[in-house]
Amino acid sequence: MADASIPTPTQEESKVSPAELKKRAKAEKQARRAAQKEQQGVVVNGDNLAAQATEAAPSTPSQLPKVDRPPKAQQQQQKQPKPSSSSQPQAMPVRQRPSQSGAPKPILKKDAPKEDHKQVELFSHLYTQSRHHTFDGVSKDVHPAVLALGFQISSYEICGSSARCVAMLLAFKEAIQAYTTPTGTSLARHLTQHYLSPQIDFLKTCRPISESMGNAIRWLKKLIVEIDPNTPEQEAKDDLCELIDAFIRERIIVTDQAIAASASRQIRDGSVVLTFAKSSIVEKTILQAHANGVSFRVVVVDSRPLFEAKSLATSLMHAGLEVEYLPFSAISHAVKQATLVLLGAHSMLGNGRLMSRIGTAGIAMQAAKADIPVIVCCESVKFSGKVALDSIVLNEVAPAEELLLRQVAKQSDIPEEDGSKGKPSDDAKSEATKVKTMADWKDITNLQVLNLMYDVTPAEYIRMVICEYGSLPPSSVPVVHRLANEGM
Amino acid sequence: MFDIVGVYKRLLTEDEDITMPVAAIEALILAIADTPSSTVSETLDLVGKLTAELKRAIPNSISLSAGTDLFQQYLISNLQRPSSGNVDFEQMRAHLVGNGKVFVERAKAARETIAGLGRHFVRDGNVILTNGGSRVVGSMLREAAESSNGNHRGSTRFKVIWVLSSNSVSAAEDESAANIAALRERDIPVATIPSTAVAYCMDQVTQCFVGAEGVVENGGIVSRMGTYQIGMLAKAANKPFYVVSESHKFVRLYPINQQDLGIEQNVVDFRTAKGSVKDEDDARVGSDEGVADVEAQEKAPLSTALDDAVDYTPPHLISGIITESGVLLPSAVSEELIKIWF
Repeated sequence: MADASIPTPTQEESKVSPAELKKRAKAEKQARRAAQKEQQGVVVNGDNLAAQATEAAPSTPSQLPKVDRPPKAQQQQQKQPKPSSSSQPQAMPVRQRPSQSGAPKPILKKDAPKEDHKQVELFSHLYTQSRHHTFDGVSKDVHPAVLALGFQISSYEICGSSARCVAMLLAFKEAIQAYTTPTGTSLARHLTQHYLSPQIDFLKTCRPISESMGNAIRWLKKLIVEIDPNTPEQEAKDDLCELIDAFIRERIIVTDQAIAASASRQIRDGSVVLTFAKSSIVEKTILQAHANGVSFRVVVVDSRPLFEAKSLATSLMHAGLEVEYLPFSAISHAVKQATLVLLGAHSMLGNGRLMSRIGTAGIAMQAAKADIPVIVCCESVKFSGKVALDSIVLNEVAPAEELLLRQVAKQSDIPEEDGSKGKPSDDAKSEATKVKTMADWKDITNLQVLNLMYDVTPAEYIRMVICEYGSLPPSSVPVVHRLANEGM
Repeated sequence: MFDIVGVYKRLLTEDEDITMPVAAIEALILAIADTPSSTVSETLDLVGKLTAELKRAIPNSISLSAGTDLFQQYLISNLQRPSSGNVDFEQMRAHLVGNGKVFVERAKAARETIAGLGRHFVRDGNVILTNGGSRVVGSMLREAAESSNGNHRGSTRFKVIWVLSSNSVSAAEDESAANIAALRERDIPVATIPSTAVAYCMDQVTQCFVGAEGVVENGGIVSRMGTYQIGMLAKAANKPFYVVSESHKFVRLYPINQQDLGIEQNVVDFRTAKGSVKDEDDARVGSDEGVADVEAQEKAPLSTALDDAVDYTPPHLISGIITESGVLLPSAVSEELIKIWF
């Protein structure tokens, strides 16, 4: 975990003096050491060192909400070791709070200095997921194809659980072909640990990986380990690429066709199909039913900030379907006319709950209340053994700006827009009484913006899950997960 | 060509204890014995064709399809195994034909096992609500009445409320009469009520037992019309609602609502002074296309009469399914089916 913190650059870095820079380099070095130690099992020590290291770096009162002593004293303590070299054991006082300085904390601070009070405390564990948008600090081992994919993923150019999984496997194919085994080791031993891991780690820094990607990675690693060490390298690589192609074909492409064929049978003449956001499998299902000559209507519900359903509505319209496009705020009206709700999935959890684009749970609840069948279309590669009872533990926090920026651009040419991205301006205090727009949310005290990606839909709202093994009740998801993803 | 429909109907009338899925399996085995086939795929093709024919001829094919699907899957997994290459096909076929009776015997034995398991659910002082003419429910209640005593006078004292189907009293009397008489014979008081009185009686009831024509993939059941409303009323009154069914009635069907059973049931029939609205629609389509008229006439006899009609009880109303392999939660049905099919 500590590794992730090191390459992350802070914006102010260019402005600091060389002396300051040196100090920081030292601190980073120490953090790295600490991380190593941590991995070796010296947890308490490692924690301390890491905390110490971040202390030396310009820090903010990030932990204030959790601290039980007055904030001022805390700040002073943090400032104390600053002038001296951080390598000295002066930072001992930090030890007082070993329980609070958990390992991920320092990273959190480094990732987003100045923004900590803008993080919603309940979801603070999710802010550790960083989003890479630059080449800085990227490991040299990362293959260009993976690099490109990472940026496409972090900018939502490639969005959706299955699409990301396929794109990742294709990029890995290129990466594997570019790989040569160093002398003195074998492909089966070296490839996963020393070559694939940096690629995966890089992808993780771009956006948290989806369940389907996790399942695919697990499958690929197992595959690599099982390679006979006597196989010639090129042959082994070709085999791997072939198997990856087969995986994409069997677990995603053909599966999608099977699901679309099976799910489209649920759409009858006169049906009104309600769907939310965009799922490629739902799109396929609807198009399939349309191709089968069923006459039905589609209600597409969309929501901010991604407006994914726009492209779905467009493609269905072009196919000649009657489409109604509604905002999320109109769900009660949308549900009233529907006869069937079709949903895609980010992941199906082990307790039969559905993890999908945020807002799905609301749709499913409305539909279940109105006794309208809710059907989830989901490839078994997205099934997960994880269990979530709420949307808090497992989730993804997208940058809060995504929730705002579009609006700002539309409203008018606010000159402060540039300032809003950076640090709070100096005159913020003097103009505290001035009316602020949402673009200045960082300057407004007591305002936090939370942009979650997913929510969890209870299993009671789901009447059927359609996967390539057929139609299941949500309670059978773990059975199929064991069968399909764990080979049991 | 082998008369599969005739044989199936004959089997059902000859043996009163036989269930529809078992009759279908037996009919298929007889067909295989009767028709010379020399290869695996030929046999599978024959079974497939006969199954389709049978399903076409019987208006409500849900129950029998449980049997035919199970049999087909059995054939596929047994005949197409890679190891079967060295086993003589003729041998396999002879084995299958010879064991046809075993299927039937096992199915009958299952009912005894279920009765043995289920009788423990019946305790002193219970009032049990049940409906229809399910043989497995009947044998379970008989078993409970006889339990712990050799002279058919049991020590468990319970009462039974039997819901008769209201639309045709005489037919319902026929199918449940034997069960009711058998219980009364064993000193068990039985009350008969029309289905309109279920809600009225529900507060006296301790638990409900119903049979099923088919147990569907999500753990719901397809059963005699009226079962669904008993389930709903039992749920509303928080009374346990148990399904008693052999596991060969598990069927690969997943209805999402009542209209999704895949069979034509003319239950809701809108009428005006001119006649049924549906007929009018058909006639209008018929005048447009000409052919639909013929189709409508062909369809008509297929739709089941109301006393044979079934409804679908969703799994959330069901407390447990008593099968010969134990008492299952509805969610376990899908697991059992996945085990058979994958």
